[in-house]
Amino acid sequence: MYFDVNGKQVFATTGGKPFDNGKPAVIFLHGSGLDHTFWGLHSRFFAFRNYAVLVPDLPGHTHSDGPALTSIEAMADWLDDIVVALDARNVSLVAHSQGCLTALEFASRYPERVRTVSFVASGLATPVNKVLLDAAENDPEAAVAMMLGWGFGSAGQLHQGPIPGNSMVAGGRTVMRGNTPTALVTDLKACNAYGNGRQAAAKITCPVQVIVAGKDRMAPAKATAELIEHLNNPVVAVIAQSGHMLPQEAPDQCRSLLKTFIFSNNPAT
Amino acid sequence: MGFRTRQIHAGVTPDPTTGSILTPIYQSTTYVQPSVDEYLSKGYTYSRSGNPTVKALELKLADLEGGIDCACFGTGMSAVLATMLAFLEAGAHAIVSDVAYGGTYRLSTKILSRFGVDYTFADTSNPDDVAASVRENTKLILTETPANPTMKCSDIAAISDIARKVRAVHAVDNTFLTPYYQLPLELGADVSIHSTTKYMDGHNATVGGAVISKSEEHAAAVRFIQNSTGTIMSPQVAWLTLQGCKTLSVRMDAQSASAMAIAEFLEAHPKVEQVAYPGLTSFAQHELSSRQASGFGAMLWFEVKGGVSAGKRLMDNVELWTLAENLGSVESLITHPVTMTHADVEPAERARVGIIDGLVRASVGLEDTDDLIAALAAALEQV
Amino acid sequence: MSRFLNFDTLSLHAGQTVDAEHGARATPIYQTTSYVFPDTDTASSIFNLERGGHAYSRITNPTVGVLEQRIAALEDGSAAVCTSSGMAATFCAITAILGQGDHIVASTQMYGGNISLMKNTLPRFGITTTFVDPTDIDGFRTAIQANTKLIYGELIGNPGLDILDLEAIAKIGADHHVPFMVDATFNTPYLCRCFDYGANMTIHSVTKWMGGHGAAIGGVVVDGGNFDWGATDKYPTITEPYAPFSGINLWEEFGPSAFATRIRAEAMRDIGPSMSPMNAFLLLQGIETLSLRMDRHLSNTMALLDYLSNHKQVSWVNHPSLPSHSSHDLARKYLPKGAGSIISFGVEGGREAGKAFIENVELASHLANVGDAKTLIIHPATTTHSRIDAAALSAAGITEDMVRLSVGLEDVADITADFDNGFRAARQLAKQ
Repeated sequence: MYFDVNGKQVFATTGGKPFDNGKPAVIFLHGSGLDHTFWGLHSRFFAFRNYAVLVPDLPGHTHSDGPALTSIEAMADWLDDIVVALDARNVSLVAHSQGCLTALEFASRYPERVRTVSFVASGLATPVNKVLLDAAENDPEAAVAMMLGWGFGSAGQLHQGPIPGNSMVAGGRTVMRGNTPTALVTDLKACNAYGNGRQAAAKITCPVQVIVAGKDRMAPAKATAELIEHLNNPVVAVIAQSGHMLPQEAPDQCRSLLKTFIFSNNPAT
Repeated sequence: MGFRTRQIHAGVTPDPTTGSILTPIYQSTTYVQPSVDEYLSKGYTYSRSGNPTVKALELKLADLEGGIDCACFGTGMSAVLATMLAFLEAGAHAIVSDVAYGGTYRLSTKILSRFGVDYTFADTSNPDDVAASVRENTKLILTETPANPTMKCSDIAAISDIARKVRAVHAVDNTFLTPYYQLPLELGADVSIHSTTKYMDGHNATVGGAVISKSEEHAAAVRFIQNSTGTIMSPQVAWLTLQGCKTLSVRMDAQSASAMAIAEFLEAHPKVEQVAYPGLTSFAQHELSSRQASGFGAMLWFEVKGGVSAGKRLMDNVELWTLAENLGSVESLITHPVTMTHADVEPAERARVGIIDGLVRASVGLEDTDDLIAALAAALEQV
Repeated sequence: MSRFLNFDTLSLHAGQTVDAEHGARATPIYQTTSYVFPDTDTASSIFNLERGGHAYSRITNPTVGVLEQRIAALEDGSAAVCTSSGMAATFCAITAILGQGDHIVASTQMYGGNISLMKNTLPRFGITTTFVDPTDIDGFRTAIQANTKLIYGELIGNPGLDILDLEAIAKIGADHHVPFMVDATFNTPYLCRCFDYGANMTIHSVTKWMGGHGAAIGGVVVDGGNFDWGATDKYPTITEPYAPFSGINLWEEFGPSAFATRIRAEAMRDIGPSMSPMNAFLLLQGIETLSLRMDRHLSNTMALLDYLSNHKQVSWVNHPSLPSHSSHDLARKYLPKGAGSIISFGVEGGREAGKAFIENVELASHLANVGDAKTLIIHPATTTHSRIDAAALSAAGITEDMVRLSVGLEDVADITADFDNGFRAARQLAKQ
């Protein structure tokens, strides 16, 4: 669906069911250069189980009006504008990669809005490799290749995927190519500049969950360990065989972890 | 659980990854190992040593025969060969039914004899003849009951007793009756052999064999030969045979009922000299057949008055019945053993064991009984 | 693996997850109709498209799925759906987005089955087609109508072997919000990946070069994932709620694979032209050697072009690799490795000479298929087009002396020796 936030059109999928703000909400946040399709399987799962689901495209990504936002803090405020605009209540945030930084910032700034946060494949900060930043600015196609190359584990590179007939790496490539003109580089710069993770994590009081990809090459183990260290009593699970694109590479295990955590901490009727 | 349930479900579990209700056809030579330390942790390394599709059939057949293990082979003959190789060596002696399938006879006299194995072809329909044939070095007694094509039956329990006393392995070729009608291992035999080509497949689609063992020791010996000689069954064959097995009892019941009706028709026909079918009260071993098996099967033979030339005329003129070498399939087949399946057996030996020149072997299929009888009646008219 | 894998690697590995239970190196043949669900939640999840998985082999099958993902990988598409034949692929792809009152602009140089589908069958359901010469780019533009919802063509045309200018046609499509579908059977992704030049979906008869051994019939639709279905309201089957799946909006939910998902959810479910797992296994085996075979097809083609061009009894030779061909420049642009392995040529002496040639070659198989590992040959004037007169033949681009050759993988010296016999017979005929 499309709706207005601050005079600009925002696109979000609702998981195949209408968004009903009388139900507890699950809001999914995608990573750099990607869009709503990243969370397809998971968003439909919660929508079909009595949650109000929202998977927005960040400004300047796929269907949402641009320009892309230039800082994680701005993304957190934008997210709050969405929550207010739709009057979403009892929000469970499910975030991947860059989305996790936004979730950290949002949950620390607007604790009253958030019931749970699930961090998937993320560190406390996301310093971006200079080679990648340069490529995103000057050679977007090479940047896409690097991100998907590092992002997907070997299963992704072999065009495997949980949906029969669908190649997850090729689908991701199509989405990222669409977002390369400005969104990707803006996203990466925002990630690189974000330094408030430690303070934000300490302020989060709601139940939190961290799902770690054992073969993550974009959020290395050290950064993830810092996130876990600074959060309050996180529920931690590791999916050993997965790469960074864990929700797509290991959707069944990821769904199962999200389900257990959200069903118990933010139950739908 | 009952036979009909087991023939469908034994050995087969839904594929854990996809839920596929049928065992997939693992047309793969090799298996990826998780790590050096976990070599063989999933049970498979190379498809000569084991294949998941073949394994499903092996589990099913072991269950149906009441054995501890089953090893499948590329043909029924390689199952017989594996049995001989597993339990015999140079200097050893084996007793084989004198009415065994021609291929078994050929394997014994022309091949294994070259490696120093000694054979006696005994009249296994008479346990005393078996006992008299036993030597100090007798390691294997191989019986086929009912035998192909004479339909002579051997007393499985009595021969098993003899074997046990001399510590020989008693192997029974159970192809004609299948475990649905006859359980050799329960009657005392050590090993049951099958040409799965016949009733297990049932559709003339594959050739294959199986050896089912009752003890770990015998099973290990057969498995060792299976892996060392590599006379294995292919996954495609195993998959088709798995499907065939699901209707084994239904086909056996229907085909056997037809065989009984056809045997009665032939026995009453003025142009027929004699009929051999274990279900007929006139059959010499009707009592033994009734005692050790729960059904009489779908194989029979008969002799047309007028001998070989009359028999040939019948076979050349009969419609619906196909002149072909196999048996046990849904298609009814008719065979002339002297010129076809048993041509390799010496004429004197054939005469001695009762394969008379006019013998016509019939494998009754799944067609309508009335149609099969009408076709025979029409052909007999022309004799 | 921190970079995209290359073509030959993908043709061996893409799409296969080594089976977790046994580790079987080859893809298992899931010869099964249906799949046992561990619980009702999983079952409903699969039906709601919340979870990947299999319910019934008409819709998806694990062996077929490996082939689909392998072809998607080779084409650089986002998703693929395999079908029971190439024609089924074309039909499913068209009917996924077109309905009564809609219109196609298609090339005149296409496989006869495609032409028949558009000329005879689809009009019965209210879908009409305007056919345009593939070299007439303006013709494509002017043929677009308000109700045009598809542009369709074959990269290497049949039988003239004219090359479709993919970028020019794709631009016309993009300007009018009309998707551009290419039948890529003759080129395969090894010779050209059409999405790189703006095509939006491809279809293949995988019976041909992809499978390569003449062993199995099959087809595939590949979704390029690069068409903006939401830019207009012309494609309600993609952008409007789809009632059978709880009103799901395929474009919103599936983005780059919305088109493939529509085929899966509708055509495979309601029509059911599914590929069999056994065929998928055989075709996977074929694709493992796709690049090796294509290289040999092409080198044999070049050798035969040389042989034919220098043969006294050959009046003309047609192949886009020849500088004399009107599409030579386009062939160099889109098909730099080579412009396929179909050659047509004329035998000096007309219809009877062509017939004598065909009847006296032995190695080359006389039949109507193309893309086999074996060399195939046909004389259209006396076979496929025998019932039409010279004028109609010429309109179809077929001359009476024309021989069409699908170059196989044999030793090229044996092919030329075989052809020598054919030419000798044609020569003797002329002497009589």
